[in-house]
Amino acid sequence: MTTAPMVVLKDIAKRWNGQLGVEGISLDIPEGSFTALLGPSGCGKSTTLRLLAGLELPDEGTILIDGKDVTTSAASDRNLSMVFQSYALFPHLSVAENVVFGLKVRRVPKQKRQEKLHRALEITGLLGYENRKPGQLSGGQRQRVALARAIVAGQRLCLMDEPLSNLDAKLRNSVRKDIKKLQRDLGITVIYVTHDQTEAMSMADTVVLMKDGHIQQVGTPNDLYSNPKNTFVAEFVGAPPMALIESSVLGGFGEDKTIGIRAENIQIVPKGEGRMSCIVNESEFLGAETLIGLDHEGARGLCVLKPGLSMVAEGNEIDINFHDEHLHVFDAAGHRLVR
Amino acid sequence: MKSFTKFIDSFGAILLAVIWIAPLLFAFWAATHSTSDAVNLKLFSPWTLDNFRVAWSGAPWLKYFFNTFMLVTVILIGQFFLTTLAGFAFAQLRFPGKDFVFILVLMQLFILPEVLIVENYAMVSRLGLFDSILGVGMPYMASAFGIFLMRQSFKGVPIELHEAARIEGCGLLGILWRVYVPLAKPTYLAYALVSVSTHWNNFLWPLIVTNSPETRPLTVGLSIFGAPENGVDISIISAATLMSVAPLLIAFLIFQRQFVQSFLRAGIK
Repeated sequence: MTTAPMVVLKDIAKRWNGQLGVEGISLDIPEGSFTALLGPSGCGKSTTLRLLAGLELPDEGTILIDGKDVTTSAASDRNLSMVFQSYALFPHLSVAENVVFGLKVRRVPKQKRQEKLHRALEITGLLGYENRKPGQLSGGQRQRVALARAIVAGQRLCLMDEPLSNLDAKLRNSVRKDIKKLQRDLGITVIYVTHDQTEAMSMADTVVLMKDGHIQQVGTPNDLYSNPKNTFVAEFVGAPPMALIESSVLGGFGEDKTIGIRAENIQIVPKGEGRMSCIVNESEFLGAETLIGLDHEGARGLCVLKPGLSMVAEGNEIDINFHDEHLHVFDAAGHRLVR
Repeated sequence: MKSFTKFIDSFGAILLAVIWIAPLLFAFWAATHSTSDAVNLKLFSPWTLDNFRVAWSGAPWLKYFFNTFMLVTVILIGQFFLTTLAGFAFAQLRFPGKDFVFILVLMQLFILPEVLIVENYAMVSRLGLFDSILGVGMPYMASAFGIFLMRQSFKGVPIELHEAARIEGCGLLGILWRVYVPLAKPTYLAYALVSVSTHWNNFLWPLIVTNSPETRPLTVGLSIFGAPENGVDISIISAATLMSVAPLLIAFLIFQRQFVQSFLRAGIK
């Protein structure tokens, strides 16, 4: 990294009445990047975002934004914008008033406010809706008002807290692209919280996977997919997630290890030729391919993908094969062993 | 059975309505007829507006109206100001002893204002506000009911709106003014209606604390006008009474719908 990072978190910890919120969070986020905080609910990703926004104050650690220590600064002094899961639009204000709310509070002159409003509405495709109240808009439009409010002031850092979770699946896909494009066009730094790994993997430059208040792995989507640091990452990332097999089932890996393998690296082979023999427990037709779930005593999450429609009856026994180079080996504690 | 309960329902409603409106109707009847006609309930006796004329010239009504108007306005402004700040503090701020203080405020709801008349009188005198409109209004400004109402209303505001306003650069008072107050509009309206009608009709306290026509509100003026030592003339007293309730009555008839709706919306029944 040639330039200083936009956002730096150093050993952040936050506890709620002695209960763990997050701990030991250290992150460097470069300017202009798209970072996703990913994890199951209750993992501390939203807490991390709220600490960054200044809505909560950390018990330990420091936060730098743009080189400035903002650990205890008020939310309004951090020069950032935020999109809330519920959008947090003011129901008594029109679209235009909602968007310029912050500019008005910060006493930006009216002329300038109008210009910025126009630009923000243009970018988000909301021209013509200026005088509507949030209650008169669809979910997708409300979401865009929230986006317009986030970009109107031209803050270089934008925090998003599950902004897509209230949209239906189809809309979510298109808005996902819109947000990504917006981020690139404006060159802003986005930190995005989500529990949906598809969202994180498809949008982010860097994914931060969290669990129980700790960071599990930081890396590019490809990194997390191909080099999971531990079994939690392996099982969380990817659809379908990685299957985990006890090392005792396969010879040659020693005791107490866990072996990971992705569905696309497994082949179905004629009986007697495979390394494992499993029972089919379900077949799921996904369109381009069929996902066949497999049961085996020493494995969990085992499945295989077959092209097109090719259902296999439940209870059938099939043999599978895979190559050693596709295997991921984890030690007894679940940490990846470098091979 | 079903039709019977329905009948009882409507019968009860009509009965109540008649009982409630009867005094008003009689006052209207008495005010528009000469005294003897009114008392003897002669249905076909001639109508007259003389009573209003006599009543009007009998006391400085305009001054009384103005005083009452000023009184309810001063009280309402004071109440809005104090209950908004206190309600916000109880709803959204964290400070030591908050629950205890809030219980103290709620306990105020159990105490009839009449119980405190002597104490209030002493306090108002000490403050040098005796026989002034501010003195009449002062004891009602920090209304426990209002504080409770505002707290409930502010508690219903989603926390995300508060946080969004914070990030957009609002201070605490800015958030209160730009987010909480506009969202609590129905509550303010309902509360204003209760407050205005209560204090328009309030009698005992103003009677004690006012001493001159300069500060006397309508209710006190009316009672002095109708006092037995001035001679009881039912028609003229009725006319004066109608005049003094007219503004409220007309306002209610015009805003009836909004009146009821704002109560429903604010959750007071």
